[in-house]
Amino acid sequence: MDWLSRQFSTRVIVLIPIAIAINIVLGYTVQTVLKLPVYLDSIGTILVGVLAGPIPGLVTGVLANLIWQYAPGIGGGTIGPFAITAGVIGVLAGIWGMLGVYKPRPGRGLQIWGPAALAMAIIGLLAWRMYTIPQYTDPNVGAYPDWVYPAIVVIGIIAAVAVAAVVWRRQDAAGAWVAVSGAVTGVVAAIVSAPIAAYLFGGVTGSGTDLIVAALRQGGADVLNASLGQGLFSDPIDKTITSFVVYLILISLSRRFVARFPLGDKIVGEG
Amino acid sequence: MTAVAPSDQAGLRPGVLPDFVSRIPRAPYRSLNPTTKLVIAFAEAFIAFGVRGWTGPLVVLGVILACAVWAHIGRAFVPFLLATIPLIASIFLVNTFLYPGATDTIVVIGPLHPTWTGLVEATQAALRVVAFAMSVALLGLTTTAGELVSDLERRGVGRRLVFIIGAAIRLVPRMVSRAAEITEAQRARGLDTEGSLLRRARGLLPLAAPLVIGALTDVEEQTMALEARAFTAPGRRTVLRAYPDSGAQRLLRWVVALGTVAVLALSVSGRLEWLP
Repeated sequence: MDWLSRQFSTRVIVLIPIAIAINIVLGYTVQTVLKLPVYLDSIGTILVGVLAGPIPGLVTGVLANLIWQYAPGIGGGTIGPFAITAGVIGVLAGIWGMLGVYKPRPGRGLQIWGPAALAMAIIGLLAWRMYTIPQYTDPNVGAYPDWVYPAIVVIGIIAAVAVAAVVWRRQDAAGAWVAVSGAVTGVVAAIVSAPIAAYLFGGVTGSGTDLIVAALRQGGADVLNASLGQGLFSDPIDKTITSFVVYLILISLSRRFVARFPLGDKIVGEG
Repeated sequence: MTAVAPSDQAGLRPGVLPDFVSRIPRAPYRSLNPTTKLVIAFAEAFIAFGVRGWTGPLVVLGVILACAVWAHIGRAFVPFLLATIPLIASIFLVNTFLYPGATDTIVVIGPLHPTWTGLVEATQAALRVVAFAMSVALLGLTTTAGELVSDLERRGVGRRLVFIIGAAIRLVPRMVSRAAEITEAQRARGLDTEGSLLRRARGLLPLAAPLVIGALTDVEEQTMALEARAFTAPGRRTVLRAYPDSGAQRLLRWVVALGTVAVLALSVSGRLEWLP
């Protein structure tokens, strides 16, 4: 009980509604103003998870989706049932926060490039494992049109260069670990989301990602596998970007502000 | 022109609660207790999604239409219906033309093979989506967030949860206008929100960072304001507005809630397969 109430200080209670509003407004703005093919509707959830712990992260994710669905005026078509996914993302973010993924790891030479290379290898392994799953390669379950493979390579290279640039500029290996945590979160989010989309909405959600679902169906995937294939393509990219945005926000906030949250000491580090 | 004191304009009299505080909605359906309406909305959503085939969505749509007619809000549903069109269109296109394993082709149009199986699946999915959207609309059109939150607090929901929900709902419109201001300010400095994908992607950080960091600067002040007003004090707060409730409504809530759980259990265990 003490463990739980420590995660819900007044400061966290104040942060959660702000995080919920950030999720809703930023997700809405990115999808309609910038018209980017990512969701970016979990920045607030990951921020709360990392700063306060798994349970506040869970509360933020679930409530954000329910409020987005039911609030008048901004009501979102299919967002409500994905509250389950949002909750899982919040819990994972809390675990990353407790493990100190966002802690600064400054160093020189091998001290930063060693962990960075290891992190890149983990992401590479994950990507390779993911993009060779039967949903993409086995014509009996489903297969992607040819353009997908170059697209994956290009996205992978851009991500690796961006992560390496941040690591080099800050001389800090934390960015690489943040990217790994984002990619893992994305894979889990995709696995949780696929049955929801398939079972409730016939596999589509009315957004740009439906094109990927259609392409997979064309290749012969069934409803669930097409949704899973689409999620495994979009979610790791989305959650890696989201985690990185949260990392950039955290390092631009004052250390005094961050340190006052329950997991603050895991983020500001020593010294 | 005689000067009217502001308190007279609002109909304020000492010792009597002003109208805007104590007024209780009287229209049919609207006058139900907010929690009753919430329970009904959740039950409609769970049945529409949980009972497969035609029965679940159609029964829910029938109930919602009856409630809407009773509450005189039929016309207000139109914008909510229109909002589901992109999703419905996507459901019909993807399922009718690309249903895996379906062979009962309706007609061959060049490379396209729409199938009956796909069309049936698409119609059922579309009905589920419409039923769900209408259940959300019915709650939204008949209940304000403030009513719901204060009624939940009266029922013992903790003040932390009540604060989170209430503050989040109030913050969203404020942050929407803040996001619009930031977008315009960055556009004035040359941010491209219309160009190619890469250019628009570059606009992400100049938009997200000021919005998030600006919002976070309020945390410190709000925390102190809440602490100074005994937010963490033990004991329950007194609720100003009480919404009328009745034994019949309490019974209705329990019947609807338990009935939904029972129907979902039957549906999951495959005992409702005989339903169309």
